[in-house]
Amino acid sequence: MAFEKVLTRNVGHPEALGVRGYRDRGGYDALTRVLRMAPEEVVEEVKRSGLRGRGGAGFPCGMKWSFVPRQHPKPKYIVCNADESEPGTFKDRLLMENDPHQLLEGCVIAGWAVGANTTYIYIRGEYTKAARILEEAVRDAYASGVLGENVLGTGFRHDIHVHRGAGAYICGEETGLLESLEGRLGQPRVKPPFPAVVGAFGCPTVINNVETLCCVTHILQRGAEWFKGIGPDERNTGPKLYAISGHVERPGTYEYPLGITFRELLEGCGGMYKGRGLKAYIPGGASAPMLGVNDQEIPLAFDHLARAGSMLGSAAVIVMDETTCVVRATLRLSRFFAHESCGQCTPCREGTNWMAKILTRIESGKGTEADLDLLASVVPNVGGISLCALGDAAQGPVKSLLAKFGDEIRDNLRHGRYPLPRQRFFDPGAAS
Amino acid sequence: MPTVTIDDRIVEVPAGTNLIEAGQRVGIQIPHYCWHPRLSVVGQCRMCMVEIEGMPKLQTACSTQVVKDGMVVRTKTPAVLEAQRAIMEFLLINHPLDCPICDQAGECALQDYGFKHGQAFSRFRYEEKRTYPEKERVPLGPHVLLNMNRCIHCTRCVRFTQEISGTGEIGFFQRGARKEIGVFPGRPLDNPLSANVVDICPVGALTSTRFRFAERVWYLDKKPSLCTGCDVGCNVTIEHRRGRIRRYKPRLNPEVNDHWLCDFGRTTAERYDELPRLLAPRIRKDGTERAVSWREALDTTTQRLRARSNEGPLAFLGSGFLSSEEAFLLAALADAVDSPHRAIWVDSGPARRIPNPRGWIEGRDAAPNRRGAELAGLVPGKGGIDASELLVGDAAARCSFLFVADSDFGRAAHDPKVVERLRGAQFLVVMGWADTPLARVADIALPVATHAEREGTFVNVEGRLQRFSPAFPPPSQVREALSVLGELLARFRPELAGRSIAEVFADMAAQRPAFSGRRWEAIPATGTVLESIARVAPAAEG
Amino acid sequence: MTNHATADHSILPESVRTEIDALRPRYPTTEALLLPTLHRAQRAAGGWLSPETIAAVADFLELPPAKVAAVVSFYDMFHDHPVGRHRIRLCTNLSCQLRGAEELLEVLGEELGVGEDEVSADGRCSYVQFECLGSCDTAPMMMVDDEYHENLTPERVRQIVRALD
Repeated sequence: MAFEKVLTRNVGHPEALGVRGYRDRGGYDALTRVLRMAPEEVVEEVKRSGLRGRGGAGFPCGMKWSFVPRQHPKPKYIVCNADESEPGTFKDRLLMENDPHQLLEGCVIAGWAVGANTTYIYIRGEYTKAARILEEAVRDAYASGVLGENVLGTGFRHDIHVHRGAGAYICGEETGLLESLEGRLGQPRVKPPFPAVVGAFGCPTVINNVETLCCVTHILQRGAEWFKGIGPDERNTGPKLYAISGHVERPGTYEYPLGITFRELLEGCGGMYKGRGLKAYIPGGASAPMLGVNDQEIPLAFDHLARAGSMLGSAAVIVMDETTCVVRATLRLSRFFAHESCGQCTPCREGTNWMAKILTRIESGKGTEADLDLLASVVPNVGGISLCALGDAAQGPVKSLLAKFGDEIRDNLRHGRYPLPRQRFFDPGAAS
Repeated sequence: MPTVTIDDRIVEVPAGTNLIEAGQRVGIQIPHYCWHPRLSVVGQCRMCMVEIEGMPKLQTACSTQVVKDGMVVRTKTPAVLEAQRAIMEFLLINHPLDCPICDQAGECALQDYGFKHGQAFSRFRYEEKRTYPEKERVPLGPHVLLNMNRCIHCTRCVRFTQEISGTGEIGFFQRGARKEIGVFPGRPLDNPLSANVVDICPVGALTSTRFRFAERVWYLDKKPSLCTGCDVGCNVTIEHRRGRIRRYKPRLNPEVNDHWLCDFGRTTAERYDELPRLLAPRIRKDGTERAVSWREALDTTTQRLRARSNEGPLAFLGSGFLSSEEAFLLAALADAVDSPHRAIWVDSGPARRIPNPRGWIEGRDAAPNRRGAELAGLVPGKGGIDASELLVGDAAARCSFLFVADSDFGRAAHDPKVVERLRGAQFLVVMGWADTPLARVADIALPVATHAEREGTFVNVEGRLQRFSPAFPPPSQVREALSVLGELLARFRPELAGRSIAEVFADMAAQRPAFSGRRWEAIPATGTVLESIARVAPAAEG
Repeated sequence: MTNHATADHSILPESVRTEIDALRPRYPTTEALLLPTLHRAQRAAGGWLSPETIAAVADFLELPPAKVAAVVSFYDMFHDHPVGRHRIRLCTNLSCQLRGAEELLEVLGEELGVGEDEVSADGRCSYVQFECLGSCDTAPMMMVDDEYHENLTPERVRQIVRALD
């Protein structure tokens, strides 16, 4: 499908890594305009655009900004969540490595809108290359007067600091991130209070995903109406990056209007790997319940996927072909959640571990149908009463496994077929 | 103040009260592990979930505050009961079946809530429990032992060392199901308040090294009392069995020790086992000693007090372990024989501190009641001999009669030089509970009750008057010092015979200005500050 | 890089202190310097953080050592035990598993002759399975020190490992 590239327009144009090149391609126009607008107008524009968070939660961005109290004795902060650790997600990395100024511009705009003079970009520790590129872009921005005491000569002060994480998925959770930023264990906080009121260092804070802030840049460049015109309806708007991986011919990041279907996405990346049949796909990262062969026409948008019993999340699409043992796949994700659980709250700490153990037994052939019933009764309590959304997320793969493939698994168990034969990916006879 | 409705009961609470505390006010106990009234709120255990009208998900009661009218809370809906069952199940799947060998049994929140809110069977049948190899008996510090397998990860101990003791020895290591508490190598849990983590640990993960395997808690009787380790006057519960104290637990008093007790204070419970006990009145004459009746012992004492051959001073020496009432009677006895020689000796010790919501209280005396004794009249009269003249100087040798009450001077009673000086008195009577070297050289030794076996008041470093009660009676031949002194006094002042402690206290209140207006029956449970001396700085002594 | 066999781990190198001091104005608290300090201290100490180094960091930032050690143990990129001169992190999360990552795990074991999280006999390498590294479009992949190696095959893995010194 032909679609004007918005977020990825500078990919393939390395000159945009520098302020000058970025400006030549239309960059920092939005910021220039914003600094002449009243901050409240900027918030309104973002609200009107219908922009929803691209990190996974899909929370309306403008509404989040409006929760920050206008008057407050403490300084305010923008925190860019560049922790990108949701399995299957790699879009923010693309944005940071290829168009860092698009992000920086969005940060400063956000700062102006809510009255914050400091942005921390919390980037996962493993993204060493992206961090280097960002720091270089920040240095260039300071040198060019885009950052610092006197942004674009307007007297507005804004500083951006790149802060590296150290390897913990839970630091992608807003308050887990804040704890980590402050130099502590990345254990999410009890909410309320919410970060908009008590956030980084006890101060009002806006936390936004990389892609969300990049969208902000374009909204303030071309207007809320333009942004709202992209996508299936008013609550699901704007251009979207879809990261597709797994059993497809051309895994990668593809930009489309929000709401294309899985079928269109699959076609756009060359179809199934080696033309094999589809078994299942995950539409939005590890937390998103699996969908099956009959679910290929659902628009991949927030509300539409939610209605279908799944979620858009980070729009990380993982495709599994007919050679895949879905129990193994779910087990791998369950082990992921057990490994990444911060461990502070009872249901997630103990429940993710338990689910992984039950699935291990089933996958290895030592399980019975009673184990499926046990799993079904344990899963509801891992989320819902946990301290943060990781407990809820951990439920997703297991619930969908039981819902979509429960009968198939029971049949396999009755016939003692587990473990299913493992398909080797690398043909030992073929040339490397 | 805003009101909240909990299980159809309406309660008014100060704004900011959380739902656990609000529930407690109307007798509704919401189960919880990680919340503690003095520690930061973390909402981690997820045991305290309740249903709040208008909110789709259950909320943690510990982190939900009442700030305005209208909140409607339910603590026993099916969703809440299922959440409680689930949390109990999650906590028990990896918990070792240690109850038969675990010190915590009988006072364990896992047992209690498991019984009330959990299920009676396990569904964790085929998996291996998560364990922490080699971490079943880790000495975290001199007073605390860790069994990491039993830990339920409530982080109370971590927060205690961060927020109360301020020493930060305990960390919360690793991630997920491997999470564990521990200390940094070479930096053990070694602060003066360390054993409090044993009290606040809801389970048997942290146990007391000194109490390990000592007693099953359901055999313990419990009585409120005061610690005698120093003059801070921490409130304790004496937990005892068959006349032996097995341990102290802190008793809540937000004005003094709050929820806490220092490690040293806990060890003072063991003194009564360490020193030999005076069990019967004893007279030593011409190098031999024999047990005698109380009548003979007191008759002899009275005769010596009245003896016309007495030319030297008649001296009365007390310690900071006397109750205010006993000190009052001792001073009255001195008055009754016209003696100005009333003195008190108190060791000073290392500074002891305990935190409460107002700050820290610090004490220096190695005894609980120097202030009360002095205020009750145990100070030298005009021209009277003072304590240092007796213990350090040679005044004892001039004394015709020296009455030492009580024998427990701490270090002094075991110091051969002090013993040598005091025995220089012509006639030495020692009244006390311990058969110290001093008691052994006494002409008459009078056995009296320990503080666990009697009642009275102490006045602490801040001038707070507090009552303590007996936990168990003294051994059969042992009497309470109050009654011994009362009987002696009555031989000189017959009108004072047979006065109860309340009457003695009333006499003291009438005659000693510091106690004016106070009544024995009306001393509040958290004590009361004697205004007249509250602002006087404690004098350095000894 | 410091030869960590002979360096005094109880002293935080001057270079680390200077770099961290330059970062102090960025944060309202000293505590927030912890992760940046640990990254640099670990690098200077040869890839892992001994108790002595942890105590030195704690001392430098005036934090309790137990707290610093707890932070080290929480994050996957901090190591409190010796690692090889080169650290290999092989992603085995779902997208990489679907494209043969587990077979590459076997290759690493064969090449280095040790199990997961063990140091090869010559001290050259250690390897671990890792969670999603954000490179699923080039799966399977692994991280060697600070670099990503993508679109791997068993042969590519052997080449990369053999080229490490």
